[in-house]
Amino acid sequence: MFVEVLSALNEGFLKTLELFGLTLAGALPLGLVIAFGSMSRFTPLKALVRTFVWIIRGTPLMLQLMIIYYFPGLIFGNNIWGTGEGGRFIASIAAFVLNYACYFSEIYRGGIQGVSKGQYEAGQVLGMTKTQVFFRVVLLQVIKRILPPISNEVITLVKDTSLARIIAMQEVIWAGQAFMKSDGIIWPLFFTGVYYLIFSGILTLMFGYTEKKLSYFRE
Amino acid sequence: MKKIALLLALLMTLSVCFVGCDSKDTLVVGITDFAPMDYKDADGNWIGFDADMAKAFAESMGMEVEFVEIEWDNKIAELDAGTIDVVWNGMTLTDEVKGGMDCSNPYCNNAQVVVVASDKAAQYQTKESLAGLKFAVEAGSAGEAAVKELGNQYNSVKDQATALMEVAAGTSDACVIDLLMAGAMIGEGTSYPDLTYTVKLTTEEYGVGFKKGSEYTAKLNQFFKDAYADGSMMETAKKYGVQESIIAQ
Repeated sequence: MFVEVLSALNEGFLKTLELFGLTLAGALPLGLVIAFGSMSRFTPLKALVRTFVWIIRGTPLMLQLMIIYYFPGLIFGNNIWGTGEGGRFIASIAAFVLNYACYFSEIYRGGIQGVSKGQYEAGQVLGMTKTQVFFRVVLLQVIKRILPPISNEVITLVKDTSLARIIAMQEVIWAGQAFMKSDGIIWPLFFTGVYYLIFSGILTLMFGYTEKKLSYFRE
Repeated sequence: MKKIALLLALLMTLSVCFVGCDSKDTLVVGITDFAPMDYKDADGNWIGFDADMAKAFAESMGMEVEFVEIEWDNKIAELDAGTIDVVWNGMTLTDEVKGGMDCSNPYCNNAQVVVVASDKAAQYQTKESLAGLKFAVEAGSAGEAAVKELGNQYNSVKDQATALMEVAAGTSDACVIDLLMAGAMIGEGTSYPDLTYTVKLTTEEYGVGFKKGSEYTAKLNQFFKDAYADGSMMETAKKYGVQESIIAQ
Protein backbone atom coordinates (compact mmCIF):
# COMPACT_ATOMS: atom_id res chain seq x y z
CA MET A 1 0.00 0.00 0.00
CA PHE A 2 2.80 2.43 0.91
CA VAL A 3 4.50 1.94 -2.45
CA GLU A 4 1.22 2.35 -4.27
CA VAL A 5 0.47 5.60 -2.45
CA LEU A 6 3.96 6.96 -3.05
CA SER A 7 3.84 6.28 -6.75
CA ALA A 8 0.44 7.98 -7.04
CA LEU A 9 1.68 10.96 -5.02
CA ASN A 10 4.88 11.15 -7.10
CA GLU A 11 2.80 11.30 -10.23
CA GLY A 12 0.64 14.03 -8.72
CA PHE A 13 3.64 15.99 -7.53
CA LEU A 14 5.15 15.83 -11.01
CA LYS A 15 2.04 17.66 -12.23
CA THR A 16 2.49 20.15 -9.38
CA LEU A 17 6.08 20.73 -10.47
CA GLU A 18 5.09 21.13 -14.12
CA LEU A 19 2.48 23.70 -13.16
CA PHE A 20 5.03 25.45 -10.93
CA GLY A 21 7.78 25.53 -13.58
CA LEU A 22 5.58 26.62 -16.47
CA THR A 23 3.94 29.31 -14.34
CA LEU A 24 7.34 30.80 -13.52
CA ALA A 25 8.48 30.53 -17.13
CA GLY A 26 5.41 32.48 -18.22
CA ALA A 27 4.86 34.85 -15.32
CA LEU A 28 8.41 36.14 -14.78
CA PRO A 29 8.71 37.66 -18.30
CA LEU A 30 5.03 38.62 -18.55
CA GLY A 31 5.35 40.39 -15.21
CA LEU A 32 8.11 42.60 -16.63
CA VAL A 33 5.88 43.52 -19.59
CA ILE A 34 3.06 44.40 -17.20
CA ALA A 35 5.48 46.39 -15.01
CA PHE A 36 6.53 48.52 -17.98
CA GLY A 37 2.87 48.97 -18.88
CA SER A 38 2.03 50.17 -15.39
CA MET A 39 4.89 52.69 -15.53
CA SER A 40 4.05 53.88 -19.04
CA ARG A 41 3.83 57.62 -19.66
CA PHE A 42 0.97 56.91 -22.08
CA THR A 43 -1.86 57.40 -19.58
CA PRO A 44 -4.60 55.19 -21.15
CA LEU A 45 -2.22 52.22 -21.29
CA LYS A 46 -1.09 52.84 -17.74
CA ALA A 47 -4.72 53.05 -16.55
CA LEU A 48 -5.65 49.90 -18.43
CA VAL A 49 -2.73 47.89 -17.06
CA ARG A 50 -3.26 49.11 -13.50
CA THR A 51 -6.97 48.24 -13.68
CA PHE A 52 -6.03 44.77 -14.90
CA VAL A 53 -3.56 44.33 -12.05
CA TRP A 54 -6.19 45.54 -9.59
CA ILE A 55 -8.73 43.00 -10.87
CA ILE A 56 -6.31 40.09 -10.80
CA ARG A 57 -4.83 40.95 -7.41
CA GLY A 58 -8.25 41.83 -6.05
CA THR A 59 -9.99 38.51 -6.72
CA PRO A 60 -9.21 35.02 -5.42
CA LEU A 61 -7.05 32.84 -7.64
CA MET A 62 -9.52 30.01 -7.07
CA LEU A 63 -12.26 32.09 -8.69
CA GLN A 64 -9.97 33.06 -11.56
CA LEU A 65 -9.29 29.39 -12.25
CA MET A 66 -13.00 28.67 -12.51
CA ILE A 67 -13.64 31.74 -14.68
CA ILE A 68 -10.84 30.90 -17.09
CA TYR A 69 -11.88 27.26 -17.35
CA TYR A 70 -15.67 27.55 -17.46
CA PHE A 71 -16.44 30.98 -18.96
CA PRO A 72 -15.49 30.24 -22.58
CA GLY A 73 -18.11 27.48 -22.67
CA LEU A 74 -20.62 29.09 -20.30
CA ILE A 75 -20.65 32.64 -21.63
CA PHE A 76 -19.45 32.32 -25.21
CA GLY A 77 -20.79 28.84 -25.93
CA ASN A 78 -17.38 27.74 -27.13
CA ASN A 79 -15.39 25.47 -24.87
CA ILE A 80 -11.82 26.17 -25.98
CA TRP A 81 -10.28 23.81 -23.44
CA GLY A 82 -11.41 20.53 -24.94
CA THR A 83 -12.55 17.80 -22.64
CA GLY A 84 -9.50 15.91 -21.44
CA GLU A 85 -7.10 16.51 -18.59
CA GLY A 86 -4.76 18.44 -20.91
CA GLY A 87 -7.23 21.30 -21.19
CA ARG A 88 -7.56 21.55 -17.42
CA PHE A 89 -3.79 21.70 -17.13
CA ILE A 90 -3.41 24.46 -19.74
CA ALA A 91 -6.28 26.46 -18.23
CA SER A 92 -4.53 26.20 -14.85
CA ILE A 93 -1.28 27.46 -16.33
CA ALA A 94 -3.08 30.38 -18.00
CA ALA A 95 -4.71 31.38 -14.71
CA PHE A 96 -1.51 31.03 -12.68
CA VAL A 97 0.62 32.90 -15.22
CA LEU A 98 -1.80 35.85 -15.31
CA ASN A 99 -2.14 35.92 -11.53
CA TYR A 100 1.54 35.64 -10.70
CA ALA A 101 2.59 38.00 -13.51
CA CYS A 102 0.56 40.73 -11.81
CA TYR A 103 2.21 40.15 -8.45
CA PHE A 104 5.66 39.98 -10.06
CA SER A 105 4.95 43.18 -12.01
CA GLU A 106 4.46 45.11 -8.79
CA ILE A 107 7.70 43.71 -7.39
CA TYR A 108 9.52 44.69 -10.58
CA ARG A 109 7.95 48.15 -10.50
CA GLY A 110 9.06 48.67 -6.91
CA GLY A 111 12.56 47.49 -7.81
CA ILE A 112 12.87 49.68 -10.89
CA GLN A 113 11.39 52.78 -9.31
CA GLY A 114 13.58 52.28 -6.27
CA VAL A 115 16.76 52.89 -8.24
CA SER A 116 17.74 56.50 -7.59
CA LYS A 117 17.61 59.12 -10.32
CA GLY A 118 21.31 59.74 -9.90
CA GLN A 119 22.09 56.36 -11.43
CA TYR A 120 20.25 57.26 -14.63
CA GLU A 121 21.86 60.68 -14.73
CA ALA A 122 25.31 59.21 -14.23
CA GLY A 123 24.69 56.84 -17.16
CA GLN A 124 23.55 59.69 -19.35
CA VAL A 125 26.59 61.76 -18.46
CA LEU A 126 28.76 58.85 -19.58
CA GLY A 127 27.01 58.96 -22.95
CA MET A 128 24.88 55.80 -22.62
CA THR A 129 21.53 55.48 -24.35
CA LYS A 130 18.41 54.87 -22.28
CA THR A 131 18.46 51.15 -23.13
CA GLN A 132 22.11 50.85 -22.20
CA VAL A 133 21.49 52.56 -18.89
CA PHE A 134 18.64 50.17 -18.14
CA PHE A 135 20.50 46.96 -18.96
CA ARG A 136 24.02 47.89 -17.78
CA VAL A 137 23.33 50.06 -14.76
CA VAL A 138 19.78 49.70 -13.46
CA LEU A 139 18.94 46.03 -14.09
CA LEU A 140 21.71 44.56 -11.94
CA GLN A 141 20.62 46.63 -8.99
CA VAL A 142 16.99 45.75 -9.62
CA ILE A 143 17.68 42.02 -9.69
CA LYS A 144 19.49 42.19 -6.41
CA ARG A 145 16.71 44.18 -4.78
CA ILE A 146 13.79 42.15 -6.00
CA LEU A 147 15.24 38.74 -5.23
CA PRO A 148 13.90 38.48 -1.66
CA PRO A 149 10.31 39.48 -2.52
CA ILE A 150 10.39 37.29 -5.65
CA SER A 151 11.58 34.29 -3.65
CA ASN A 152 8.70 34.92 -1.27
CA GLU A 153 6.19 34.77 -4.14
CA VAL A 154 7.86 31.71 -5.64
CA ILE A 155 7.55 29.79 -2.40
CA THR A 156 3.92 30.86 -2.12
CA LEU A 157 3.42 29.58 -5.66
CA VAL A 158 4.64 26.11 -4.66
CA LYS A 159 1.66 25.82 -2.33
CA ASP A 160 -0.84 27.80 -4.41
CA THR A 161 -0.60 25.15 -7.15
CA SER A 162 -2.93 23.10 -4.95
CA LEU A 163 -5.77 25.50 -5.85
CA ALA A 164 -5.87 24.05 -9.37
CA ARG A 165 -7.73 21.04 -7.98
CA ILE A 166 -10.89 23.17 -8.07
CA ILE A 167 -11.06 22.57 -11.82
CA ALA A 168 -9.98 18.95 -11.32
CA MET A 169 -6.34 19.44 -12.27
CA GLN A 170 -4.86 16.29 -10.79
CA GLU A 171 -1.97 17.58 -8.72
CA VAL A 172 -0.55 16.07 -5.56
CA ILE A 173 -3.37 17.02 -3.15
CA TRP A 174 -5.89 15.54 -5.60
CA ALA A 175 -3.80 12.37 -5.72
CA GLY A 176 -3.77 12.22 -1.91
CA GLN A 177 -7.48 12.85 -1.63
CA ALA A 178 -8.23 10.13 -4.15
CA PHE A 179 -7.23 7.57 -1.52
CA MET A 180 -9.58 9.18 0.95
CA LYS A 181 -12.49 9.03 -1.47
CA SER A 182 -12.03 5.58 -2.90
CA ASP A 183 -10.29 3.52 -0.23
CA GLY A 184 -11.17 5.39 2.95
CA ILE A 185 -7.48 5.95 3.73
CA ILE A 186 -6.62 9.34 5.19
CA TRP A 187 -2.86 9.52 5.61
CA PRO A 188 -1.87 10.08 1.95
CA LEU A 189 -3.63 13.46 1.98
CA PHE A 190 -1.60 14.67 4.94
CA PHE A 191 1.56 13.06 3.65
CA THR A 192 1.49 15.40 0.64
CA GLY A 193 2.71 18.07 3.07
CA VAL A 194 6.10 16.34 3.11
CA TYR A 195 6.46 16.93 -0.64
CA TYR A 196 5.73 20.64 -0.29
CA LEU A 197 8.10 20.97 2.66
CA ILE A 198 11.00 19.27 0.91
CA PHE A 199 10.52 21.24 -2.28
CA SER A 200 10.17 24.62 -0.60
CA GLY A 201 13.19 23.72 1.53
CA ILE A 202 15.27 23.17 -1.60
CA LEU A 203 14.03 26.47 -3.04
CA THR A 204 14.88 28.32 0.17
CA LEU A 205 18.45 27.00 0.05
CA MET A 206 18.74 27.93 -3.63
CA PHE A 207 17.52 31.47 -3.07
CA GLY A 208 19.82 31.86 -0.07
CA TYR A 209 22.77 30.81 -2.21
CA THR A 210 21.77 33.14 -5.07
CA GLU A 211 21.34 36.08 -2.71
CA LYS A 212 24.85 35.51 -1.41
CA LYS A 213 26.23 35.38 -4.95
CA LEU A 214 24.43 38.61 -5.77
CA SER A 215 25.86 40.59 -2.88
CA TYR A 216 28.13 42.34 -5.34
CA PHE A 217 27.56 45.88 -4.25
CA ARG A 218 27.58 46.98 -0.67
CA GLU A 219 25.12 49.74 -0.21
CA MET B 1 5.14 46.96 -24.85
CA LYS B 2 1.58 46.76 -26.03
CA LYS B 3 2.69 44.65 -28.98
CA ILE B 4 4.50 42.18 -26.77
CA ALA B 5 1.48 41.87 -24.53
CA LEU B 6 -0.75 41.29 -27.53
CA LEU B 7 1.63 38.70 -28.90
CA LEU B 8 1.67 36.85 -25.59
CA ALA B 9 -2.10 36.90 -25.41
CA LEU B 10 -2.28 35.58 -28.96
CA LEU B 11 0.20 32.81 -28.25
CA MET B 12 -1.80 31.77 -25.23
CA THR B 13 -5.02 31.61 -27.22
CA LEU B 14 -3.34 29.63 -29.97
CA SER B 15 -1.89 27.03 -27.66
CA VAL B 16 -5.37 26.64 -26.22
CA CYS B 17 -7.09 26.01 -29.57
CA PHE B 18 -4.94 22.99 -30.23
CA VAL B 19 -6.29 21.32 -27.14
CA GLY B 20 -9.90 22.07 -27.96
CA CYS B 21 -10.00 20.07 -31.15
CA ASP B 22 -12.18 17.05 -30.63
CA SER B 23 -14.88 15.69 -32.89
CA LYS B 24 -18.24 14.54 -31.65
CA ASP B 25 -17.68 10.81 -31.88
CA THR B 26 -16.64 10.71 -28.24
CA LEU B 27 -19.01 10.70 -25.29
CA VAL B 28 -17.23 12.53 -22.49
CA VAL B 29 -18.39 11.18 -19.14
CA GLY B 30 -17.83 13.27 -16.03
CA ILE B 31 -17.12 11.11 -12.98
CA THR B 32 -15.44 11.03 -9.60
CA ASP B 33 -13.67 8.13 -7.97
CA PHE B 34 -16.76 6.53 -6.42
CA ALA B 35 -16.77 2.78 -5.90
CA PRO B 36 -18.69 0.70 -6.89
CA MET B 37 -20.09 3.02 -9.57
CA ASP B 38 -16.93 4.49 -11.12
CA TYR B 39 -13.46 3.49 -9.99
CA LYS B 40 -10.12 2.31 -11.37
CA ASP B 41 -8.99 -1.28 -11.71
CA ALA B 42 -5.38 -2.31 -11.04
CA ASP B 43 -4.36 -1.25 -14.56
CA GLY B 44 -5.87 2.22 -14.16
CA ASN B 45 -8.92 1.62 -16.38
CA TRP B 46 -12.27 2.97 -15.24
CA ILE B 47 -14.70 0.25 -14.21
CA GLY B 48 -17.78 0.02 -12.02
CA PHE B 49 -21.50 -0.30 -12.62
CA ASP B 50 -21.87 3.21 -14.03
CA ALA B 51 -18.63 3.08 -16.01
CA ASP B 52 -19.58 -0.22 -17.66
CA MET B 53 -23.08 1.02 -18.49
CA ALA B 54 -21.62 4.24 -19.93
CA LYS B 55 -19.28 2.21 -22.14
CA ALA B 56 -22.20 0.08 -23.36
CA PHE B 57 -24.35 3.16 -24.01
CA ALA B 58 -21.63 4.88 -26.03
CA GLU B 59 -21.05 1.68 -27.98
CA SER B 60 -24.77 1.43 -28.78
CA MET B 61 -24.50 4.85 -30.44
CA GLY B 62 -21.26 3.96 -32.20
CA MET B 63 -19.25 6.39 -30.07
CA GLU B 64 -16.06 6.16 -28.09
CA VAL B 65 -16.22 6.86 -24.38
CA GLU B 66 -13.84 9.12 -22.45
CA PHE B 67 -13.93 9.33 -18.64
CA VAL B 68 -12.91 12.62 -17.07
CA GLU B 69 -12.63 13.21 -13.33
CA ILE B 70 -14.42 16.38 -12.26
CA GLU B 71 -14.77 18.37 -9.09
CA TRP B 72 -18.26 17.25 -7.98
CA ASP B 73 -19.41 20.71 -6.87
CA ASN B 74 -18.91 21.99 -10.41
CA LYS B 75 -20.88 19.30 -12.26
CA ILE B 76 -23.57 21.60 -13.67
CA ALA B 77 -20.97 24.17 -14.77
CA GLU B 78 -19.01 21.37 -16.47
CA LEU B 79 -22.09 20.27 -18.44
CA ASP B 80 -23.08 23.81 -19.40
CA ALA B 81 -19.53 24.74 -20.40
CA GLY B 82 -19.38 21.65 -22.62
CA THR B 83 -16.29 20.27 -20.91
CA ILE B 84 -18.23 17.05 -20.35
CA ASP B 85 -21.31 15.55 -22.05
CA VAL B 86 -22.81 13.65 -19.16
CA VAL B 87 -22.59 13.21 -15.39
CA TRP B 88 -22.81 9.47 -14.73
CA ASN B 89 -21.57 8.82 -11.25
CA GLY B 90 -24.16 7.49 -8.81
CA MET B 91 -25.83 10.88 -8.81
CA THR B 92 -28.77 11.32 -6.47
CA LEU B 93 -31.72 12.95 -8.23
CA THR B 94 -32.13 15.97 -5.97
CA ASP B 95 -34.12 19.09 -6.84
CA GLU B 96 -30.85 20.89 -7.54
CA VAL B 97 -29.78 18.22 -10.00
CA LYS B 98 -33.19 17.99 -11.66
CA GLY B 99 -33.34 21.77 -11.98
CA GLY B 100 -29.89 22.12 -13.52
CA MET B 101 -29.75 19.11 -15.83
CA ASP B 102 -31.80 16.91 -18.11
CA CYS B 103 -32.01 13.69 -16.13
CA SER B 104 -32.57 10.09 -17.19
CA ASN B 105 -35.11 7.84 -15.52
CA PRO B 106 -33.85 6.62 -12.14
CA TYR B 107 -31.96 3.33 -12.43
CA CYS B 108 -30.72 2.58 -8.92
CA ASN B 109 -31.94 2.96 -5.32
CA ASN B 110 -29.77 4.31 -2.57
CA ALA B 111 -30.21 5.32 1.06
CA GLN B 112 -28.67 7.93 3.33
CA VAL B 113 -27.26 6.28 6.43
CA VAL B 114 -25.99 7.62 9.75
CA VAL B 115 -22.37 6.74 10.53
CA VAL B 116 -21.18 6.73 14.15
CA ALA B 117 -18.34 5.23 16.16
CA SER B 118 -18.89 1.45 16.52
CA ASP B 119 -18.66 1.50 20.33
CA LYS B 120 -21.59 3.93 20.52
CA ALA B 121 -23.62 2.37 17.72
CA ALA B 122 -25.96 0.51 20.09
CA GLN B 123 -27.40 3.79 21.41
CA TYR B 124 -28.23 5.15 17.99
CA GLN B 125 -30.44 2.59 16.30
CA THR B 126 -33.55 4.77 15.89
CA LYS B 127 -34.19 8.20 14.42
CA GLU B 128 -35.33 9.53 17.82
CA SER B 129 -32.07 8.52 19.50
CA LEU B 130 -30.11 10.83 17.19
CA ALA B 131 -31.36 14.02 18.89
CA GLY B 132 -28.51 16.21 20.11
CA LEU B 133 -25.85 14.66 17.88
CA LYS B 134 -23.76 17.07 15.88
CA PHE B 135 -23.51 15.95 12.24
CA ALA B 136 -21.06 16.43 9.40
CA VAL B 137 -22.57 16.25 5.91
CA GLU B 138 -21.43 16.87 2.37
CA ALA B 139 -22.46 20.37 1.30
CA GLY B 140 -25.45 20.21 -1.03
CA SER B 141 -25.86 16.45 -0.65
CA ALA B 142 -28.97 14.42 -0.02
CA GLY B 143 -27.46 13.73 3.40
CA GLU B 144 -27.52 17.43 4.21
CA ALA B 145 -31.21 17.60 3.33
CA ALA B 146 -31.90 14.59 5.56
CA VAL B 147 -30.14 16.12 8.56
CA LYS B 148 -31.93 19.43 8.02
CA GLU B 149 -35.18 17.52 8.29
CA LEU B 150 -34.03 15.86 11.51
CA GLY B 151 -33.38 19.34 12.91
CA ASN B 152 -29.95 18.50 14.27
CA GLN B 153 -26.97 20.84 14.24
CA TYR B 154 -24.58 20.12 11.39
CA ASN B 155 -21.42 21.24 9.59
CA SER B 156 -21.39 21.20 5.79
CA VAL B 157 -18.05 19.91 4.57
CA LYS B 158 -16.53 19.47 1.13
CA ASP B 159 -17.39 15.85 0.40
CA GLN B 160 -18.53 12.61 1.98
CA ALA B 161 -14.96 11.50 2.64
CA THR B 162 -14.35 14.65 4.67
CA ALA B 163 -17.59 14.04 6.56
CA LEU B 164 -16.29 10.59 7.53
CA MET B 165 -12.99 12.07 8.63
CA GLU B 166 -14.87 14.51 10.88
CA VAL B 167 -16.45 11.59 12.72
CA ALA B 168 -13.15 9.71 12.97
CA ALA B 169 -11.44 12.84 14.30
CA GLY B 170 -14.27 13.44 16.78
CA THR B 171 -14.95 16.92 15.41
CA SER B 172 -18.49 15.75 14.65
CA ASP B 173 -20.49 13.05 16.45
CA ALA B 174 -21.95 11.47 13.33
CA CYS B 175 -22.20 11.93 9.60
CA VAL B 176 -24.68 11.02 6.90
CA ILE B 177 -23.40 9.42 3.70
CA ASP B 178 -24.61 7.16 0.89
CA LEU B 179 -25.30 3.56 1.81
CA LEU B 180 -23.30 2.33 -1.20
CA MET B 181 -20.36 4.46 -0.15
CA ALA B 182 -20.58 3.43 3.50
CA GLY B 183 -20.35 -0.16 2.34
CA ALA B 184 -17.03 0.53 0.64
CA MET B 185 -15.41 3.10 2.93
CA ILE B 186 -15.80 2.05 6.54
CA GLY B 187 -14.89 -1.03 8.54
CA GLU B 188 -11.94 -3.42 8.24
CA GLY B 189 -9.13 -2.48 5.87
CA THR B 190 -9.94 1.23 5.74
CA SER B 191 -8.81 4.16 7.89
CA TYR B 192 -12.17 3.86 9.66
CA PRO B 193 -12.24 0.38 11.24
CA ASP B 194 -14.07 1.82 14.28
CA LEU B 195 -16.99 3.36 12.41
CA THR B 196 -20.25 1.73 11.51
CA TYR B 197 -23.62 2.76 10.08
CA THR B 198 -26.94 2.53 11.88
CA VAL B 199 -30.13 4.34 10.87
CA LYS B 200 -31.35 4.68 7.27
CA LEU B 201 -32.70 8.22 7.07
CA THR B 202 -34.07 8.49 3.56
CA THR B 203 -34.08 6.45 0.41
CA GLU B 204 -33.37 8.05 -2.90
CA GLU B 205 -32.73 7.32 -6.54
CA TYR B 206 -29.74 7.60 -8.81
CA GLY B 207 -29.98 9.07 -12.31
CA VAL B 208 -27.76 10.22 -15.15
CA GLY B 209 -27.56 13.93 -16.04
CA PHE B 210 -27.11 15.67 -19.38
CA LYS B 211 -27.03 19.31 -20.38
CA LYS B 212 -30.49 20.91 -20.59
CA GLY B 213 -32.12 20.13 -23.93
CA SER B 214 -29.72 17.30 -24.72
CA GLU B 215 -30.70 14.73 -27.32
CA TYR B 216 -29.00 12.00 -25.29
CA THR B 217 -31.58 11.85 -22.50
CA ALA B 218 -34.27 10.08 -24.52
CA LYS B 219 -31.68 7.80 -26.08
CA LEU B 220 -30.39 6.76 -22.68
CA ASN B 221 -33.88 6.03 -21.33
CA GLN B 222 -34.45 3.76 -24.33
CA PHE B 223 -31.04 2.17 -23.80
CA PHE B 224 -31.87 1.47 -20.13
CA LYS B 225 -35.15 -0.15 -21.19
CA ASP B 226 -33.41 -2.40 -23.70
CA ALA B 227 -30.57 -3.29 -21.35
CA TYR B 228 -33.02 -4.12 -18.56
CA ALA B 229 -35.16 -6.21 -20.88
CA ASP B 230 -32.30 -8.30 -22.28
CA GLY B 231 -30.79 -8.82 -18.81
CA SER B 232 -27.46 -7.14 -19.56
CA MET B 233 -28.12 -4.41 -16.98
CA MET B 234 -28.69 -6.97 -14.22
CA GLU B 235 -25.64 -8.89 -15.30
CA THR B 236 -23.47 -5.78 -14.95
CA ALA B 237 -25.13 -4.99 -11.61
CA LYS B 238 -24.28 -8.46 -10.26
CA LYS B 239 -20.66 -7.96 -11.25
CA TYR B 240 -20.46 -4.99 -8.86
CA GLY B 241 -22.81 -6.24 -6.15
CA VAL B 242 -25.55 -3.63 -6.69
CA GLN B 243 -28.23 -5.94 -8.13
CA GLU B 244 -30.48 -5.44 -5.07
CA SER B 245 -30.70 -1.72 -5.79
CA ILE B 246 -31.48 -1.72 -9.50
CA ILE B 247 -34.82 -0.17 -10.50
CA ALA B 248 -36.90 -1.93 -13.13
CA GLN B 249 -37.02 0.06 -16.37
